Amino acid sequence: MFSAMIDPTAGPATAAKATALAARKPDLRGSRVGLLANVKRNAEQFLDEVGALLRQEHGVAEVVRRKKMSITDPVPREILDELVAECDVVVVGVGDCGSCSASAVADGLALEAAGVPAAVVCTDAFKVSADAMAALQGSPGYHYVRTAHPVAPLSQPELRERAVAALPEIVATLTTGHPRVAM
Amino acid sequence: MTAAGVAAGGAQAAGVVGDGAQADEVAADQERLDYARAAIEYAYDQGWTDGLPVVPVTRPMVEEFLAQTSRPADEVIAAVPHLNRQCTVEQAAVNAALAGCRPEYFPVVLAAWDALMREKAVVGGGWQSTSGPAPLIVVNGPIRHRLGINCAGGVLGPGFRANATIARSIGLVVRNVFGIRPQELEQATQGLPGRWTLCVGENEEESPWEPLAAEVGLPAGTDAVCATLLRTCEFVDNRHTQNPEELLTDFADTISRTGAAIVPYSSAGLVLGVEHAQLLAANGFTKRDVQQWLYERCVRSHEDLERAGKGLGGWNRAGGAGGRPRIDEYGLHMLPSPEQLMIVVAGARNAAMSMVVRPFGFAGWSRTAVAIESRE
Repeated sequence: MFSAMIDPTAGPATAAKATALAARKPDLRGSRVGLLANVKRNAEQFLDEVGALLRQEHGVAEVVRRKKMSITDPVPREILDELVAECDVVVVGVGDCGSCSASAVADGLALEAAGVPAAVVCTDAFKVSADAMAALQGSPGYHYVRTAHPVAPLSQPELRERAVAALPEIVATLTTGHPRVAM
Repeated sequence: MTAAGVAAGGAQAAGVVGDGAQADEVAADQERLDYARAAIEYAYDQGWTDGLPVVPVTRPMVEEFLAQTSRPADEVIAAVPHLNRQCTVEQAAVNAALAGCRPEYFPVVLAAWDALMREKAVVGGGWQSTSGPAPLIVVNGPIRHRLGINCAGGVLGPGFRANATIARSIGLVVRNVFGIRPQELEQATQGLPGRWTLCVGENEEESPWEPLAAEVGLPAGTDAVCATLLRTCEFVDNRHTQNPEELLTDFADTISRTGAAIVPYSSAGLVLGVEHAQLLAANGFTKRDVQQWLYERCVRSHEDLERAGKGLGGWNRAGGAGGRPRIDEYGLHMLPSPEQLMIVVAGARNAAMSMVVRPFGFAGWSRTAVAIESRE
């Protein structure tokens, strides 16, 4: 039945391959941590809180801040290269909109592919979008850190609380402490 | 016809009465129609539809569409690079057929894609946005009449195949070719009514001004498409005044509402009813004058924005160094520039009402028109 009916759908332009995760170390002592923020409101502020906590509580030596201006496009090559050259691990966020959550996951996978462990932070409202992007990129089930939605209207103390709450999972994701999903 | 007569006719069509040959024909026809229905259900089961029935597409149908353009079937006409997706002429043809387009609409569909791909909001992830924006496709030129593209009464509403299916074909490509589906990669919070229905002809015959495509540079009389993404339409009903400045003041109030300000940005356009356009023109206003008048006056005060929790606190109230170009001591300018206020004249000349439309995104529309290919 319906063998003459044309399928109107299309797949990816090029086949996506699963990304192998970068090798992790047991902890973050002495490491250089990249913070890759997008332009969504409070993204940088949230990551700055995470960066401060990583210095205070996990012996992180250096924090490298970068910001990407497009909420949808992948991280620009030059920023990716800088992060790979200057950082041992990178925190990406905050995926707090339809396309930027998907984009954040893609950036996390790009960093992993370049050998740098990444922790992507998305809000729980965009789980479906983030998961769909992971699948689209050939890595269904890719683990990212979820924080409650929304992040944009939070005050500084509230952002701090969020960062404190997310920190253990961020650290576990960046180190060997996390039971990672097999690719 | 009486109710009894209708019932009798209905019974006959169902094959209950009538001679043997007629009954056989009815039964055969019923079988074919059942098959057509099953094909539509099959399309639903495959997830190919936007919720309404689609037309089953066969290879010969696709060839009919492809015959309407000189462009190669494998030419890529649209893409979403960050999702690793692209759409060819052929895939657009399949989805135009699926949407219910006639083959001769296809050059308009292709021009609409060309116009949409000039929009930064479209290539920047607009299809996935929480605001769920709708493509607005504006058609100029004599092709409106050849294809039956409505530009008069009910122009934004239903009832016209060309308008309805050209716009729908865009949505089916987004769904089927780009794989952007609601509650998956599309994250529209509420979406908007009629998202895939906004293809309108401009009422050039009753507009006092040059068509949109001519305003942005194509020769008058060219068959052409302009397009952008919209977040909504909001009516302005003003059958009350003959004074052009009072009318513009009414538009300005809607354009300036705080809900549409995503500080420090906002945007607006006008789908002007014929009566409003003619009133303005009769009082000496060109399109450019209307744009300038509204640009200067559509400003929302700092106090109003603060009352709505949208204060511009972080930005320099006085403008200048460290300030933002659209913010001054009075407040926020709602329009990025005069010419970014798109003006289209459409609808019937039977009541003085218009729509304020809300372009999506902050990059502005391309202010270009795409000529529609003609094979004649």
